[in-house]
Amino acid sequence: MNIIVCYKLIPDSEDMIVRPDRSISLEQAEWVISEYDLLAVEAGLQLVEKYGGKLMALSIGTDKLLNSKAKKDILSRGPDELYLVCDPSFANADTNLTAKVLTAAIQKMGSCDLVLFGEGSGDLYFQQVGLQVGEMLGLPTFNAISKIESDGGNFIVERSLEDAIDVYSLPAPAALSVTTEINIPRLPSMKEILKAGKKPVIEWTLQDLTLSAETESRVDILSVRAPDVADRKRIQIEGKVEEAVQTLVGYLSKEGVL
Amino acid sequence: MAKEFWVFSEKPALLAELTVNALELSKAEGAIVAAVVIGNQQAIDQAFALGAQKVYALGEKSEDVIYDDYVPTFVSLVKSKQPALIIIGATRQGKAIAGRISAALDLSAITDAKYFDQSSGSLEITHLVFGGGAIRTEKANTATAILTQGAGIVDAPQPTPGASGEVEQVAFVQPAWKISLTERKQKPPASVNLAVAKKVVCAGRGIAKKEDLAIVFELAELLGGEVAATRPLTEGLDWLPRERYIGVSGATIKPDLYISLGVSGQAQHTVGITDSRVIVAIDKDKDAPIFSQADYGIVGDLYQVAPALIAALKARK
Repeated sequence: MNIIVCYKLIPDSEDMIVRPDRSISLEQAEWVISEYDLLAVEAGLQLVEKYGGKLMALSIGTDKLLNSKAKKDILSRGPDELYLVCDPSFANADTNLTAKVLTAAIQKMGSCDLVLFGEGSGDLYFQQVGLQVGEMLGLPTFNAISKIESDGGNFIVERSLEDAIDVYSLPAPAALSVTTEINIPRLPSMKEILKAGKKPVIEWTLQDLTLSAETESRVDILSVRAPDVADRKRIQIEGKVEEAVQTLVGYLSKEGVL
Repeated sequence: MAKEFWVFSEKPALLAELTVNALELSKAEGAIVAAVVIGNQQAIDQAFALGAQKVYALGEKSEDVIYDDYVPTFVSLVKSKQPALIIIGATRQGKAIAGRISAALDLSAITDAKYFDQSSGSLEITHLVFGGGAIRTEKANTATAILTQGAGIVDAPQPTPGASGEVEQVAFVQPAWKISLTERKQKPPASVNLAVAKKVVCAGRGIAKKEDLAIVFELAELLGGEVAATRPLTEGLDWLPRERYIGVSGATIKPDLYISLGVSGQAQHTVGITDSRVIVAIDKDKDAPIFSQADYGIVGDLYQVAPALIAALKARK
């Protein structure tokens, strides 16, 4: 079973700086693999361990992807090969452009049985790219997948909806986006970390791919800023525990919320 | 042909909210609001009762068919009618349908739309990014804009029973691929609806072990409120069900009183509590960001402060 797992490298939002005018800066942020995608990588790894085959990781983005630490990070988590498509124009790619480029890359990579995605990206969290890629490839595609097994020709999957878990049998190849409940990703072992630097990395540019349509974003980004902070009283209650608690109860009683 | 705004959700309660929002947005552009209905005559009547001015009736869904199977029908209908706006309920299936329609029609869906602004003359949509740490405003530059909207953004309308309008029947388009639905396991009904709770006590990583949640439950019970948690306690540690999780991908609450116990207050969590009337924070780290967003803060060990608070509230009764 050959599996492609797509991942995104994102700025760590913990490193986000909010300027006084509520604009934000991510210039100092460390770039990390989106947390949700690690579950897709683990899901792919478990399938390859169970059914055999090859796990290939794929990402598109700016040249941040080419950083050797970033490449080793993803490869130490299990994929056998890494495919990267880099172009400066991907810095603000919308879901449509991201999906088009991933689709073109997957077609260039050759045949596979399954394309995996995380639940959404840790930075923008549109939860759209996996579904769009599936649709563009013309494959059976679903989100919210919490379990994947294979019976040879078909995948047997569980899909965790709001009020029910659906079990589907669907023909391979397929494109599936997994939930945060599907597994707990293992940490890379020292052996895997050492192996990571020796695994094949294939680097493409936009010009290496054949895109089916134009590559303009379908949405214009008008502004990005920190949300307004509600004006809170910020009263720090000092003193011994019993006194502090009595003071708090007094305040809450006055607020009429007890 | 009049400009059309469409609404679709497989959840009736959510469809009500989408419809009221679409009606409001349609005023500025003189558009009519059409509901895309997969269901029987009762579902069509309900769409009109909620305010839809037109219904595209895609037919009644049989048991072995899933809503996702209607994507090709939806796509062909969009191609022929060219609606200016499609609002889809932000459920998991709703997001799947929005994504696939977007791909098929070369659009980009804006998901989890939170604020809507037409003052510039075109529809600007704001949604949360970076784990709730920032808000981003966008607008579609395509003839059809597609977005998803979750529950609680607008108030549901009072239905007008007996309302009616034009119904256009739409023929089902066979999908290119078919799955078989082999089993449907109902999830137990949600035991808690944080969105409507008046008082919420929230547990964070300051709670050392699962058994200690007893303090949190005792305080919540005493207040007549609900227990909530930050994400690590519901995903990863699995101490509490996911429906108790407050944060960017979980619940958004608007209680009169919110008390946090051992919550540090990262943006991913606090985005869900900003509409609370009174916020109380109890944590041992005086530098925890939660204190800057609280009305009342006690810096201290929750294992001492919470029992003392419980005793003080009991003494008051």
